[in-house]
Amino acid sequence: MWIFWQPEKAFLQMCNLPVKVVCRANAEYMSPSGKVPFIHVGNQVVSELGPIVQFVKAKGHSLSDGLDEVQKAEMKAYMELVNNMLLTAELYLQWCDEATVGEITHARYGSPYPWPLNHILAYQKQWEVKRKMKAIGWGNKTLDQVLEDVDQCCQALSQRLGTQPYFFNKQPTELDALVFGHLYTILTTQLTSDELSEKVKNYSNLLAFCRRIEQHYFEDRGKGRLS
Amino acid sequence: MRPGGPPRNLRSGQRPEGARGCRGHVQFGKSPQSPPSRTRFPSPKPSVSAAVRDCFRHRRRDSPWRVWTAALPPGRGRLRMSPRPRASEVRGPTSGTPAASQAARNRASPGASPDPQPPVAGEAATGGGSCRGKEGTSGELLPGQRVCKMAAPMELFCWSGGWGLPSVDLDSLAVLTYTRFTGAPLKVHKISNPWQSPSGTLPALRTSNGEVISVPHKIITHLRKEKYNADYDLSARQGADTLAFMSLLEEKLLPVLIHTFWIDAKNYVEVTRKWYAEAMPFPLNLFLPGRMQRKYMERLQLLCGEHRPENEEELEKELYQEARECLTLLSQRLGSQKFFFGDAPASLDAFVFSHLVLLLQAKLPSGKLQAHLRGLHNLCVYCTHILSLYFPRDVAEVPPPRQMPAGPETEEEPYRRRNQILSVLAGLAAMVGYALLSGIVSIQRASPARAPSARALGMAEEDEEE
Repeated sequence: MWIFWQPEKAFLQMCNLPVKVVCRANAEYMSPSGKVPFIHVGNQVVSELGPIVQFVKAKGHSLSDGLDEVQKAEMKAYMELVNNMLLTAELYLQWCDEATVGEITHARYGSPYPWPLNHILAYQKQWEVKRKMKAIGWGNKTLDQVLEDVDQCCQALSQRLGTQPYFFNKQPTELDALVFGHLYTILTTQLTSDELSEKVKNYSNLLAFCRRIEQHYFEDRGKGRLS
Repeated sequence: MRPGGPPRNLRSGQRPEGARGCRGHVQFGKSPQSPPSRTRFPSPKPSVSAAVRDCFRHRRRDSPWRVWTAALPPGRGRLRMSPRPRASEVRGPTSGTPAASQAARNRASPGASPDPQPPVAGEAATGGGSCRGKEGTSGELLPGQRVCKMAAPMELFCWSGGWGLPSVDLDSLAVLTYTRFTGAPLKVHKISNPWQSPSGTLPALRTSNGEVISVPHKIITHLRKEKYNADYDLSARQGADTLAFMSLLEEKLLPVLIHTFWIDAKNYVEVTRKWYAEAMPFPLNLFLPGRMQRKYMERLQLLCGEHRPENEEELEKELYQEARECLTLLSQRLGSQKFFFGDAPASLDAFVFSHLVLLLQAKLPSGKLQAHLRGLHNLCVYCTHILSLYFPRDVAEVPPPRQMPAGPETEEEPYRRRNQILSVLAGLAAMVGYALLSGIVSIQRASPARAPSARALGMAEEDEEE
């Protein structure tokens, strides 16, 4: 899957844990919760950021130890905000925006499979996503409304970040990993139109934030993709 | 007798919309508005629901014209208005009230004057309800009636109250609380029949332009646009926090609330379904609660259930664990403050309150989360504080739901009674007809003289048969 592993990867990098990314066609089926990404450590498999964070914490690594209770509450809340808005918007764009679906998603999602499986699975996934959108009330949203929501979310993040280097103090936390992951994906993924990334680019401090993290933690990847 | 016949539809305006509206406006003023009109009503407390009932009751006895004056914006040309002097009296107090915005909106209807005839009043309400665009700016306006620039006041339809709360539905409660916080002059219709709402679902807001909004967030956005903004004083950072915490509520607490009230078997049967079945009119109460439950179940499944639900119980445990965490987080964030952002309530408070108070007040047979919530003392204090401050009337009343929406119910009653009588008659007629047709019973037109002999004959026949 092309979008969803950045937050987790960022988090693991921030914890200074070495991580190798492996792409598999049946990743969703391998995952214990049906969601990607997941990490495979020894003989344990853990999926989704929340459990991954817990797992890593249990092994002795944590990014949010220095926060007090109120800050932890805020951090969790903002993480939910990002999940709620950005993740859903990404899903929407990927599966409910006809232009993107036709040009990019279907082809990508079905590429590992032979015909006719590629079409069938793609349509099935699309139907599932659409159902979920409807359940949470995004079924009737137009692309513009979704973009507006993204804008609102970015505005909130930007206001929370302010001029600090990271969201809480001088050290990155899970929230930073999550935000970086999503924003990075939005900024670097090629879609049919640039509206989504434009929305993010409107907020210069978010852009600077992403660049900073990329340079700090991912510099071994060579030239940054955020220019 | 009720004026004007059964109101099938709120748009047909038999409801005491005007009455409610008046109270709403008056209340918004938060001033001791027209004391005379006040004294007419048994309940002095400024609560919309109380006002609704009272206004309605009084409407029958030569409707307090002040009610109508305050309620209806001018330009309700349909009213056969009587002269203004009295109107101007009322205009004084009501428009004198603060809310520059209210005055600016000319909501206090100066021209709508004493019309004791309920049907006309009803018509006026209809006028209010349905023809927004045509403000009666035409010649129907009596001289001196101010042409109101604003259209009809907004109307909010929401679920009626129960369990000691102003409303039993989460979304309705959130919207209601927000309107109380901001003092928006809405006409609140507390109904228990979603089919009567303009959008078919509750809550629903009918704006001054006739547009109907039914998504709670959008309702609040609309109110904000109309300058009833509880978040006016928040800093940018606090606004961002609001968004974040609302997401937290939605993701962590809402699924569990749905589960507690609709999926948990004991709670559903003994509390939720019972309330809805009692509150809804026949025959809706036969299938609507079930339908609502299915909808909620589906929603819950989609919200959290791409999980292979290997184990229902495990999923449940996980959900409840997260909800408990969420409650603790909220408690930590609130600390010892009165509201989340200082001393004045904001929209976040409305949402948090609505989520928490449902959990707190409803008497749930299996309330695992309830126990946890009760342990968080500052959240309990927070809820009771808001409840007593903004919904004083509703706290005092804990009667069964039946009694609360007296307004709509009494209006429906003749209709329902009629239905019942008709159905009984129809049943009887069917039975008798069948009996006659199939010969079980036959009508013999025998003269009295012959009757005994006929009877004797009949008996003789019976003897023979035996």
